[in-house]
Amino acid sequence: MSAFLQQVVNGLSIGSVYALMAVGYSLVYSIMNFSNFAHGGVIMIGAYIGYFCLTFLKVPFFAAFILSALGSGLLAVTMERIVYRPLRKRNAPFLYFIISAMGASIFLENLVIASPIGPTFRSYPPIFSTEPIMLGNIALGRIDLLMFIISALSLMALVYIIEKTKIGLSIRATSYSIKGSTLMGVNVDVVIFIIFALGGLLAGLAGMFFGMKYTVYPQIGNITTKSFVAAVFGGLGSLPGAVIGSVLLGLIETMTSGILSSQYRDLIVFVLLIGVLVFKPTGLMGKSTEDKA
Amino acid sequence: MSWDYVSGILILSGINLMTVLGLSLLTGFTGMFSFGHAGFMAIGAYAAATMTMKFGMPFFAALLIGGIASMIVSLLIGKLTLNLKGDYFCIATLGFGEATRLILDNVQYFGGARGLSSIPTVGTTTLPNVIIINIVAVFVLVCIIKSRHGRNMVAIREEELAAQTIGIDVFKYKMIALAISALYAGISGGMMAHYLGYIQPVMFKLVKSTELTIIVIFGGLGSVSGSVIGTILLTFLPEILRSFYNWRLVIYGAAVILIMITRPQGLMGGKEISLKPVIRFIKGRTDKAKEEVKS
Amino acid sequence: MKKNAACIVSILLVFTMLLSACGGTSTSASSGNTIKIGWIGSLTGDQAVWGTCESNTLKMLIEELNANGGLLGKQVEGIYYDTKGDAAEAVNAVKRLITQDGVAAIIGPNASGQAISISAVLEQYKIPDIATVATNPKVTVGDDGNVKPYNFRVCFIDPYQGAVAAGYAYDRLGLKNAAVLYDVASDYSQGFTEFFEKTFTEKGGKIVAKEGFKEGDVDFRPQLSKIKESNPDIILMPYYYKEVALSANQARELGIDATLIGGDGWPSEQLMEMAADAIEGSYIVNHLDFNDPEVKPLQDAYKAKYNLPMELNGYMAHDAFKLLEAAIKDANSTDPVKITESLVKVTVEGVTGTIKIGEEDHNPVGKQAAIVKIEDANYIFQEKYGLQ
Repeated sequence: MSAFLQQVVNGLSIGSVYALMAVGYSLVYSIMNFSNFAHGGVIMIGAYIGYFCLTFLKVPFFAAFILSALGSGLLAVTMERIVYRPLRKRNAPFLYFIISAMGASIFLENLVIASPIGPTFRSYPPIFSTEPIMLGNIALGRIDLLMFIISALSLMALVYIIEKTKIGLSIRATSYSIKGSTLMGVNVDVVIFIIFALGGLLAGLAGMFFGMKYTVYPQIGNITTKSFVAAVFGGLGSLPGAVIGSVLLGLIETMTSGILSSQYRDLIVFVLLIGVLVFKPTGLMGKSTEDKA
Repeated sequence: MSWDYVSGILILSGINLMTVLGLSLLTGFTGMFSFGHAGFMAIGAYAAATMTMKFGMPFFAALLIGGIASMIVSLLIGKLTLNLKGDYFCIATLGFGEATRLILDNVQYFGGARGLSSIPTVGTTTLPNVIIINIVAVFVLVCIIKSRHGRNMVAIREEELAAQTIGIDVFKYKMIALAISALYAGISGGMMAHYLGYIQPVMFKLVKSTELTIIVIFGGLGSVSGSVIGTILLTFLPEILRSFYNWRLVIYGAAVILIMITRPQGLMGGKEISLKPVIRFIKGRTDKAKEEVKS
Repeated sequence: MKKNAACIVSILLVFTMLLSACGGTSTSASSGNTIKIGWIGSLTGDQAVWGTCESNTLKMLIEELNANGGLLGKQVEGIYYDTKGDAAEAVNAVKRLITQDGVAAIIGPNASGQAISISAVLEQYKIPDIATVATNPKVTVGDDGNVKPYNFRVCFIDPYQGAVAAGYAYDRLGLKNAAVLYDVASDYSQGFTEFFEKTFTEKGGKIVAKEGFKEGDVDFRPQLSKIKESNPDIILMPYYYKEVALSANQARELGIDATLIGGDGWPSEQLMEMAADAIEGSYIVNHLDFNDPEVKPLQDAYKAKYNLPMELNGYMAHDAFKLLEAAIKDANSTDPVKITESLVKVTVEGVTGTIKIGEEDHNPVGKQAAIVKIEDANYIFQEKYGLQ
């Protein structure tokens, strides 16, 4: 029984990493209807910013958090400006967005490798004791706990912004119909700017947590494939869907490794994913839109 | 440049081109986006290599079996996932590609992660063979595209709902496009196995799939000649940049973005290179000559 | 319709012809006053860390050699190509090195997949290659059991490493229950695991758990929790140090106190930085003793030049280069075939031990593994351990 509970804890911990990343995908998808594959690159840069803040600038921990979130937010917004806006102005089909996003993620990853930072793995300086909190036989990581709290807080803040503020209203309106909301006087450029800024901020947080929990290296972006899967699982474009999808994916992966077979984990998860999509083609909580492709 | 080196890259271009042609039909003409074609290449590669190595089958027959094997798998995958839209279909193919790799990693009959070596390379994937196969592939593809079926596919790409309304069986045509692209990818995988003499599941990563799709977009959606030129250019580009090893992928990434922004239709963008004017010109000359002879 | 197809076909052909017209201007091999030596490996991609270290080491050694008068009275020129860790790229890079740059010999690559793929090219042009850390047996011996004439290596192979780890754990450490966590997508990890299992069970030990993960994974707690239940004395971790650091830390967090053992994927200063506490008391089957006074000059020179820690690959690249240097001297020629013949004749003192290439398998003969224990965040050499 304690082994099972330990696996649940493991699953939740993995799921919360996915969740922080998946929300970024879903935010962008909800407005622009494409999966922003460059999100992984932004997360990676966020992790590096946090690392350099802590090791070279030696700023306090929470300042590093804020700097890394701001830095990633800035990067995300800049990228939107340079890469996506020209496409948007031309009403390019979603394919072009995806390809540009992939180009951007290739660019970012290799820029880091080619720069003096190089391909080496780097580890964050120890901030918290890695000694886990023991609940009976179950080990609970301190970073996991902190991450859980901060993710929950930032996601709640996000939901608040979207549900309760005026700008949130225009975000929601835009996600229904870009044309319609433009007619109603919503400045779509501003909405998209905010969406990318929010996504970037979260990416910075995700990157920092990832770095603290694991390590920093240029290929962090690859792990976001998993969070993309999680976002699809939960239903693209839906924030609660992204969170639920991520937690479920984390739990399913853990249980598969723990009970069935760790060698075939990804295969089993894939079959399950296809199963869900066959019965519910827009994921668990996806918004059903007309395909724009 | 030495010829051996160039012919090596040409063979590689030919191998890539096979998959790109298939993807061109799927993405460029039917409007579906796949992240899993490396998986189809893997199936083709392993099937073809097994045929020549363990059953002593001739090269061309083995290639065909490789292609058919991945086509059969594609029918299965298609049956389940072709009803999904845009990104959902993407993720399904992505999962398929990674799952295929995982199975190959675990199956010891195919050497597991350590791969299959000593695949016959002599007299198999040679430049003439690659060119012949690609010529046939281009010919078949052009025939399909110019036929009624090809027009139906384009209709689906342009406006799926409208296509359905006028009675096009959308599912069927998507399936055909997927199956043909898988067949091409399978053959391409088989050629690759017999070019390298060694295959390993790691060779068929997600990156491979995205690279190939980028080529299709680069060449121009809905243009076969664009795919051909795009493949050759993009296979050569990293080779030319080889000396700037650190920066070449940075340049590659930036180039992809730049093309999307400045020339989204790709190199050819729905147009085909046509030799008609040239032919007309030559014909005109000969006609004139004939007339002169007559007079 | 047919016309259009014909057009495309002809374009293809024109392209081919155009390109073939550029052919035939290859520079001749290593003539004049330089000897060209090629290197291939990953300078980008997942394995960039190791590839970069290899090429850096070679650059340093070549500079040093040239400053001391070069080789056979000629200057040595190194040419380095990236393979992105991809086999097809490796084949292209080797073709370019041979036919265009005209190298006399090639060092690298740093992974088995690429080393196996390039055999056919090497044989075609009769150019020798010395692999650094390609430990898959198939690198030098084909599936048909014949030795590949132009493939050599300076490292021991996966089966040996696995067997040594098993033998040491069972015979010397007296541990009977082993668990394995391995990377299913890595040829290195699979080979290591297979031969560890084989030797360990033959000796009478028991494999109590065998769990896999996939490269790119960063969280191993699900597998480790399962391993914990099986209560092993020792856990084999046959993969590279990033994953080792992560999995070792996570194992300790879960309260697993079994001894850890690993192979040549471990040694690195980074591992210490990332997981010194977690791997305290672990054992490594390594190629050399890092604290050997003979190794120090190389380490210091590297650190001084690049301000980066030396990775294991650097030592192997060093030995490969020394072997090649000796072979070129022995052949007294830059002719690749003569160099190839000399490669099995010479004996050199490398930093990883005495290197003599065996004629029947092109692996270094009688190379014993160095067993290293981690004590107080240091690699403490235990003994040279070979398998009888």
